[in-house]
This record gives sequence, structure tokens and C-alpha cells, in this order.
Amino acid sequence: MTRKILEVASLTKVFGGLCAVENVSFDVDEGSITALIGPNGAGKTTMFNLITNVYQRSDGDVLFCDESICDLPANKIAGLGLVRTFQSARVFPGMTTLENVLTGAHLHMLAHPAQQMLWLPKATREERDLVAKADALLDLVNLLAFRDVAATDLPMGAQKLLEVVRALMAQPKLLLLDEPAAGLNDSETEEFAALICAVRNNGISVMVVEHNMSLVMGVADKVLVLDAGRLIAQGTPGDVQNNARVVEAYIGQEFSPQDGD
Amino acid sequence: MNEAIQIAIGGVLLGSIYAMLALGFSLVYRITGVINLSQGAFCVLAALTMYSLNVTFGMPLFFAALAAIAFTTAIGILIGAFTFVPGMTRLSNSNILMLTLGLLTMINGVMLLIWGSQPYSLPPFSGEAPVVLFGIRVPTQGLWIVGTTLVLILCLWLILFRTNLGKALRACAENPAAARLMGIDVKRMTLLSFGMSALIGAIGGVVVCPIISIEFVTGQEFTISGFIAVTIGGLQSFGGAILGGLALGVLTQMTAGYVSSMFSNGLALGLLLIMLLWRPNGLFAPALRKREDVREAARVQVGIVRLQGRQGWILAAIALLIAILVPHIVSYGMLSSLVITGILFLAVIGLDVLMGWAGQINLGQAGFMAIGGYSAAILVTRYDWTPIPSTLFGMALSLLCAIVLSLVVMRLRGLYLALATLAFGLMIDSMTVGLTEFTGGPSGIVGIPSFAIGSYVFATPTQMYYFVLALIVTIVLLLIGAMRSSFGRALQAVRTDQMAAAALGINVPVHKMAAFAISALLGSLSGSLYAFFFHYLSPEMVGSVRSFELVAMLIIGGEGTLVGSVLGVALLTLLPTIFQPLAAFKTFAEGVLLVFSFLYMPQGLFGTAVIRFNRWTHQAASRITPSVSAVNRGSV
Repeated sequence: MTRKILEVASLTKVFGGLCAVENVSFDVDEGSITALIGPNGAGKTTMFNLITNVYQRSDGDVLFCDESICDLPANKIAGLGLVRTFQSARVFPGMTTLENVLTGAHLHMLAHPAQQMLWLPKATREERDLVAKADALLDLVNLLAFRDVAATDLPMGAQKLLEVVRALMAQPKLLLLDEPAAGLNDSETEEFAALICAVRNNGISVMVVEHNMSLVMGVADKVLVLDAGRLIAQGTPGDVQNNARVVEAYIGQEFSPQDGD
Repeated sequence: MNEAIQIAIGGVLLGSIYAMLALGFSLVYRITGVINLSQGAFCVLAALTMYSLNVTFGMPLFFAALAAIAFTTAIGILIGAFTFVPGMTRLSNSNILMLTLGLLTMINGVMLLIWGSQPYSLPPFSGEAPVVLFGIRVPTQGLWIVGTTLVLILCLWLILFRTNLGKALRACAENPAAARLMGIDVKRMTLLSFGMSALIGAIGGVVVCPIISIEFVTGQEFTISGFIAVTIGGLQSFGGAILGGLALGVLTQMTAGYVSSMFSNGLALGLLLIMLLWRPNGLFAPALRKREDVREAARVQVGIVRLQGRQGWILAAIALLIAILVPHIVSYGMLSSLVITGILFLAVIGLDVLMGWAGQINLGQAGFMAIGGYSAAILVTRYDWTPIPSTLFGMALSLLCAIVLSLVVMRLRGLYLALATLAFGLMIDSMTVGLTEFTGGPSGIVGIPSFAIGSYVFATPTQMYYFVLALIVTIVLLLIGAMRSSFGRALQAVRTDQMAAAALGINVPVHKMAAFAISALLGSLSGSLYAFFFHYLSPEMVGSVRSFELVAMLIIGGEGTLVGSVLGVALLTLLPTIFQPLAAFKTFAEGVLLVFSFLYMPQGLFGTAVIRFNRWTHQAASRITPSVSAVNRGSV
């Protein structure tokens, strides 16, 4: 029996009078890829913001590795191994691509700032190793040529990839990706699917909000469907595609089961 | 009882002026989302223009007043069109705040050149004899002030809430992008709001001139008081601005009347700090909070200034060699100026860590210089401490203040943080002037010995020069070590995107506090050395004007580079020494350079030079090996 890395229990968020997320419960298995889909305004990003405590929940609980993380500040949550990306790529302006990636390793720096100040060999060596690791990751996503370019000068798709790489540098246990493939073309999306699978095969659980159906159906082990703040279905991609409620509420006429290769 | 009423009336009069200024602040803020610190300068400009027209050119008082208002408003619109409006499209809100600080300095500088530094005062509009109302004597000018304020408020309200123009202005305030899509000329509205605030300032200055004597720096005091008033009342509410102004006026007059005027300053600033913490949106904050991301996101793009590894070291070595040789070439007077440059550079390095790297504005850096300077001066001259322990004591005290202050202002960002640090600087100002038995008051402390390590005394400028140089090299090396690795990256992340930084596990408050602590320590060190080098310390050497100057030096030199700001420090310190006749232009030049840097050279002198240099070496390299870049392109 696989361990649950994330457990969301009866999570509810009310904005004013609007119930953005209503009594949602689900689990994420360790070492799996879980996709969260739903029509616009279904509450997907709100769900991510609740999990990472960007928004205060109205009710319910979120357990990460059996520990409640609902009242922890964002940096503590990241420290536990739950790292997220944002819907609109948030690379740091004023820093190069490489520096952006290195920033991701913040949590795992062994050298103390004082050691860095004194240029101790230990700190310099660590820095060099880190650069090598970042270069390897950038190479993996074909961004190595842009390592010394201002990150904000990259096209949007590349910025989103950069954000994923930056999150990977933080060595998460669970990676939350908010629409990572938006702005990628078809071949890039395929490469991205391979990247996510590689991430999972390295033991990192992934939860992804995505609109791109071929990506979701191709890589996800489990699909959660949100509609108007409620979880209307969950299961394997096949189950969800054949679920009448899902087809009715979301996929409708635009999507028939055969499309989802 | 009668006395209390008289004082309260004085307070209401003063408060009306604050209220007018607060209205100006609120108006610009509501339409553009930024604070216009140059507001107070327009007050003084109008008052001084009226004085000249009336006294020097013999124009009747009434026409002089109208002409002065028209003239000041025209100047305001002109300045707005060439600085504020273009700034709005390319600077972040906190940089606009400092741009307006530059404008304030610039206008002050011009007024210093034209009118000198003596105070001016005019007779009341309707004679000296006060009117007696219900047994209370009210100066006639008071009626003018209160009347003008009421008319102004009414006009403003009518324009904003009863005309289409007002609707357009308010749309700009809510969402400039959407307003532009609706066909509203946002630039013109921005200019209009700037012009209107100049007009309000001018009217205020003209009516208040007869009860307060005006000199060129009064603008700064007006700006600060008006600002405190609007913070108390709430930036988003005209009613709040007016009540805030009146409350502040009455409160300061009461304290000044019954306790002392020195205490009234402290009280006003304390009030500001409490308000910023307890209710940053003011007493009359609207229920709906303004969205902050609408405008901010588009303008935080920062250029990247990096020298490639080896080139950087070679250039640094050359610069160091020149710095070592310099004392053998230059004159004695010049050498002293160079020492001062070095000492001020220490304070600016600290400021750079805080502003350039962590993105937190500090308008009170001289406050830490004052703590360091006065600690050293007092301990050495009164308690026979040696220089090093007294310097360290100052640094410890500064660190303590920085930690307390950053705990207090932790939740504040950008604008409000800038103002909290400004208030801190001003509080230290009023303490250095006011605690006479400790600090010697305005005349300062004399007879401070030279800096010494053990029995070795750095008595000559040459000795001091090498000592400061060694200190700078050490500190810069330490900081480069920190900034090139995770600490520096975390600070930059905090600067540009706190939410994304926290999502990567960066502890945002701790990093802000660390940057603030470094800044305070270096400021304090600089202040101590400053006192030891001059053998003398007075409040204005480490006052708020100095804080603004340090910010100007940083921006002109180039922020976020650690070493670049030395160019700014050198420019503003050495130029007045080299061209003595230009010394009077210093304030003006500072303001102009600050504004110019923000608008046309956002990377500063150093950044611009580095970008040019990189482009040049890059071109040189690609001429030699064109194949390399072709290969690179192929691999993409």
C-alpha cells in the first residue's frame, strides 16, 4: 500500500459570500502524478493557494506527510518539501537564468552566510557544485544557452520551464505545478511530459493543474476534477474520461473520449 | 482656559495648512498611487515668489498672491510633464517616491540659490488687529486660512465627484490600464493631478506665509507634516486627510504650548509610527483595499549589471592600485575630501545592501550615522573611552535600533517602509538637537580626538585615507562573498517577488532584517569615523538632509552593485571641493542628478559604464571569433 504524501480533508474557502472551494477531500499518493483539472473558475489555483497557505482556509485541513501545514508560513511549507510554481511565471527580474535556478537551492545550502562572506573553501566549493547541478538541469530543458541572460527576457514558455527547474533545485518531495504547459507548443509539451515523468521516476510526487488534455491524460496516474469549487470526480484518466458528470460539466461536446490518446 | 483655547486656535490654523497639504498628497495618491514628496516645496516656492513680487517689485499683496499661485502652478505642471509623468510609465512606485524626493531637493536647491537661506515673512492680508469672536482673539489671517481651506475642499469635492473629469480621474486611480482602454488619457490625468497638487500647495503657502516665517528648507517640514497628517487620516480619504491635518496641528501646538516644541516633533513622529503600525491605511480607510499589482508588476524590471569574472577582478585591481597611489598625487585639501568620500561610501554600501539588493527603502540612514557618531563622540570626550570600543558601542546600539525598528516595520513595504525610516531619521534628528546636555544641541560636540588603534593614532589625512581604504576593501570583499552566493540571491528574490521567494523556502522577514542590520552597522561605523575625522560633530552633519544625500549618491552611482555607488559619493563630495564657486549649487545639483538618474540612467553611472563595457568587449570578442556565436546559436 502506497503512502499518502498529501491529504486534503474537507477543505473549504469562502470569499465574501462566494464559496470558491467547498468541502473538497482527496489524497495524493507518494511517487505519483496527480492532475487537477476543471473549467475556468473551478477553483484549481485557489486549491493550490490553500494548500500552500497563500490563502487562509475557511475550514478543513491539509496534511503533508501526516503533518498539518495549514497554519505554517509559506517558507516553512517549502522547507518541509512542498514546493510550488505559479500560474503566471514568477521568475525573479534582475537576475539571470542561472541565478534564478540557483535561488531554488536556497533551502539546501550547507554553508552559512558568514562562511560565504569569508570566501571559505567549503562555501566556494559548494557554490561551484551547485552551478554544475544547475547547468545540468538547464541543459535538460534546453535552456543552457540562456544561462547568463536576464530571466525576464526569456519567452513565456521558457520562463515557465525555468520556474519548474528552479523548484526542482529545492529538492521537493511534492511538486505543485500550476499550468506549467501554458504557452508551450505541441513538441515542447511532449518534452515537458517526459520531464514530469522523469521527475516522478526520481521519487518526487507531482501535482499539476493543467488545461492541456493530452498532457494530463498522457502522464497522470490520477485525475481530480473540480467544478464550481466541488470535486465531482476522481480516478484514473480512463475513469474520468468516461464519467458522465465530468463530460456533462466540463468536457461537454468539445471533447469525446477518443481524443485523449 | 482662555489660554488653552488660544493655543487650540493656533493649532487649528496650523492644522488647516497641514490639511491642505494632506489633501494634495491624497489627491495625487488617489489618482496615481504614489506619494508626491515635492508637495511642500511648492508651498514655499509660492510664498517666496509672493514675497518678491510684493516687497521687491512693489506689486499689491492680493495680485502678488494670485501671480505667485499661477506661477507656482505653471512651474509644477512643467516639472510634472518632464519628470513625474514619464517616470510614472517606467519606474516602480518606490522609485517614484524617491524621484519626488529628488524634485523636492531640486526645488529647494533653486530656492536656496535665488532667495538664500534667510527666513522671510509677510504682513497679514487684512491688517494686524485680531478679530474678537465670543471673547476669543482670532488673528484675521486665521480666517483667511480656514476660509481658503474650506473653499478648496468644496472645489475639490465638486470636481472629483460632480464632473466627468472627476470620474476620469477616479478611474485612473482604480485601474490605469482599464482607464486607458476606456479612452482616458492617463498621462494627462497624471499631469493634471500633479498640477492640482502644486496648485493646492501654492495656495496653502500663500495664505500661511503671514503666520509662519518661510525659508527654503521649510518645504521639507511642510512635506513631512502634511504627510504625517495624511497618514493619520488615511491616504484614500479626503475627509480623513482634513481631520488628520487638524488633529496634528492641534496636537503639536498643545504639546509645544504646554511641554516643549522639541517634544512636539517627537510626538508627531511617534504618532506617525504608531499609525503606520496600527493602521497603515489610516483612521478613515475605505473598506475596499486598493489592488497593488495592477501597476507595480510592469515596472519592477531591473537591468542586470555584471562584470564577467576575470575582467571584474582585473578592473578592481587597477582601481585599487590607483587608489593606493592617489595620496602621492593630490593636494592636502583634496585628500581630506577623498577621506570623506571613503567614510560616506561606507554608509552608502550599507544602504546598497538594503536598497539595491533587498529592495527595502531607507530614508533614515543618517540616523544610524548619528547614533554611531554621537556614541563615539560622547564616549570618547566625556567618558574617556578609546575610539574602537566607542565605535563598537555605537554599532551595537545601531544594531539594536535596527532590529527593533525592523520588528516594528516588518509588515510594511515600499512606501510605508520608506516613511517609517524617514520618521526614524527625523526622530533621531530631533533628539540630537533636543538632548542638549548629551549632544551639545545645535552647536554640537567639539574636541573629538583622531581615530586610533591602541597607541597608533591616525592623525593625518594620509593615515586616515589608508585606514579607510583598507576598511572599504575588507568590507567590500566580505559583502561580495555573501552577495555572490545564496544570501545575495535570497535578498534579490525578496526584492522582486516576496511570494515566490517564500515559496522556495526563503525566510523573507529574516532576510529583510539581516539586510537592515548590515545597513545600520555600516551607517554607524561611517558616522563614528566621520566624527573622529572632523574632530567635531553637529546635528546637521548627520541629519535627514544627509539621509537624502546618501540615497542620491547610491542612485547616481548605481544600486545593486556594492562598489558602483562610490562614483555617486565621489561626484557629490569632490565636485564642490574642486569647483568652490559651485558649492552653492550642491543641493540643486543633487536633486537634478537624482531625478536625471531615475529617468535616464536607472542603472546609475557604474551600471551604465559596465553595460557599455560589456557590449564593447562582447563586440570585440565576436569580431575575433565569429564562429563561436554561430555555434551557440545553432545549439539553441
